[in-house]
Amino acid sequence: MPADSDALKRSGGDAQRVRIPPEERLVNLTVALMSTQIGLTKDTVFTAVSGYREAGEDGAGRDALEKMFERDKQSLRELGLRIQTIGDYADPDDLREARYRIPQEEYELPADIVFTAAEIALLNLAGNVWQHSSLSAEARSGLRKIRALGGDVDEQIIGISPRINLHDAAFVPLQRAIEQCKAITFPYLKPGETAPVERRIRPLALIEYEGRWHVYGEDATARAPRTFLLSRIVGPVRMTREKFDASLRDGAGERALAGLEELAARQRALLEVHPGSEAALRLSRRVVVEDAPDQGIRVPFVDVHIFADELASYGPEVRVVDPPRLRDEVIRRLRATLALHSDDEGMS
Amino acid sequence: MALPVMATERAALILQLVPYIVGKGEVTLEQAARDFDVSVEDMRAMVEKLTVLGQPGDSGYWQMDDDLFQIDWDLLDERDVIALTNTVALERAPKLSAREAAALLAGLQLARSVPGIGDTALFDGLLRKLARGAADTPADVIVAPERVDEVRATVSEALRRGVAVSFAYHAPDAAPTRRTVDPVKVHIEGNDWYLQGWCHLREAMRTFHLERVSEVALTDIPIAHGAEPLPRLFEPGEYDPIVQLRFAADAQGLVGDILARADAVTVDGVTTATVRVADAQSVKRLVARRGGVIEVIAPPAARRAAAQWAQAGLEQYP
Repeated sequence: MPADSDALKRSGGDAQRVRIPPEERLVNLTVALMSTQIGLTKDTVFTAVSGYREAGEDGAGRDALEKMFERDKQSLRELGLRIQTIGDYADPDDLREARYRIPQEEYELPADIVFTAAEIALLNLAGNVWQHSSLSAEARSGLRKIRALGGDVDEQIIGISPRINLHDAAFVPLQRAIEQCKAITFPYLKPGETAPVERRIRPLALIEYEGRWHVYGEDATARAPRTFLLSRIVGPVRMTREKFDASLRDGAGERALAGLEELAARQRALLEVHPGSEAALRLSRRVVVEDAPDQGIRVPFVDVHIFADELASYGPEVRVVDPPRLRDEVIRRLRATLALHSDDEGMS
Repeated sequence: MALPVMATERAALILQLVPYIVGKGEVTLEQAARDFDVSVEDMRAMVEKLTVLGQPGDSGYWQMDDDLFQIDWDLLDERDVIALTNTVALERAPKLSAREAAALLAGLQLARSVPGIGDTALFDGLLRKLARGAADTPADVIVAPERVDEVRATVSEALRRGVAVSFAYHAPDAAPTRRTVDPVKVHIEGNDWYLQGWCHLREAMRTFHLERVSEVALTDIPIAHGAEPLPRLFEPGEYDPIVQLRFAADAQGLVGDILARADAVTVDGVTTATVRVADAQSVKRLVARRGGVIEVIAPPAARRAAAQWAQAGLEQYP
């Protein structure tokens, strides 16, 4: 049987020692740390846990084993595993005799959490919204853990297929920085500007609004909350050494959403649309009914450039009356389009 | 520094595999491979690997059989079925990582905007469970609630009740038509909702953008053609016209989703993309949106349409 021959190779003669892959060492370490009440010392880990033991026998020195242990602890933390360090009671900073363990209650999904069939059905729907983006694997992995609790319940809601588009490369590093409460910098290119400006923020929340992703955070220069479009982050998101207080994140998502909604309430365009056109159909759904103008419609917007993009696409179906900045942006797009497509002969 | 991501991910899969098998009792290799998004060979290797994993042995060197995970080898070798005969830990599923919880929480917020698939109590209960089941506080990933208008609500209800829905449909640059449709699937793509269903007028499966739907009403006609195959969303037909677009290679992000199905060639930083679209005239809307970034090269009629579209727009601003 394969298991026996493997086991022999590993524990037997040193002529043919097999290197233990890191994932096996990680799982062995997890099992060992979970199976102890009083915790294991590093010495015990290094001599008894498979993976460390073999590395030690292969001549890895104490320093190398220490480094291996630190890396493994970091990897397990990223998987959401909490390793408890039990130090010397007399001197908590003295970690020479420290013991390590993973408390069962910290590791497992709490025993009283059960999911009903209706909840599993909703979670299946929620877990499939990410398509091929990086969050898809995370969502499916989370679903697997939840399904492992529930036996054979596997309800699906059919007929509905919600998807969230996520093309922005900045999303993952931003999410990581929020989790770790680290301030970040990134180059931000505003439309109409020729070069990006390096921004520094404490990122607090990610928010999808009208189909676009935004990051909300505390701007270091302005010392005030700001919202940035991910599509305008044109270079790498870099984590700084500054760690901020996690309490800044409390309620950040709601504050971000309220900020965008407040902006939309404040910025309203006055437009004239041709009845029956694509523009009329799409814009009329977003019209604010209170304080209706005598002529035309009033439509809220959050970003003048993005709204100008949309209005330009409607060509002659819509005319911007107000504000002038929006009108100028639409005219600029139409002029550029005309210039690019004007042929010497072809124009009528 | 953490380990290479691959090693950490493989460890994460093994940590999930044990409670998964414990929960199922017995499960086929094929089913497990599907549930874990890996090949059957990889799943077999993972299961076999379990038998060298476990507790440190008492002696420090030799691990006894009870110290390790054990599987039913006969079942695996003869019937490709996985079952555990000894476990040493990990029987219950691990907590969700912050990112797993965030991904599910955001998905739920989007699902919540679909009328009629769950009430507030159900969603709130789920949000609380996920928060409690997460090892660390997830980053706030918020999906702003969608507007639920009459069209979206009525179409969702028709789907739930299994009856046809009737509405006015106004595609761009075409005359409006009255349609009766057996609803089969509602796609929500970011901010846009699409209905796929069997159109009584065209007598075929069709896709409708709900922003172009108005005067919607439920009918009492039961769905009769729901089982016919659905086209993929945005799948162009073989007779659809071909257009050619040109743009700076670093402006790809502005071209949008149609690029995914285009043949694109980049020379000296300039990309030429060839793609089938339902209506060649409609690219005028795309190029006007991007104001001078994307150029229509062919067909000539589409190129002229883009110029005329922009000019007609400009004439409104004397």
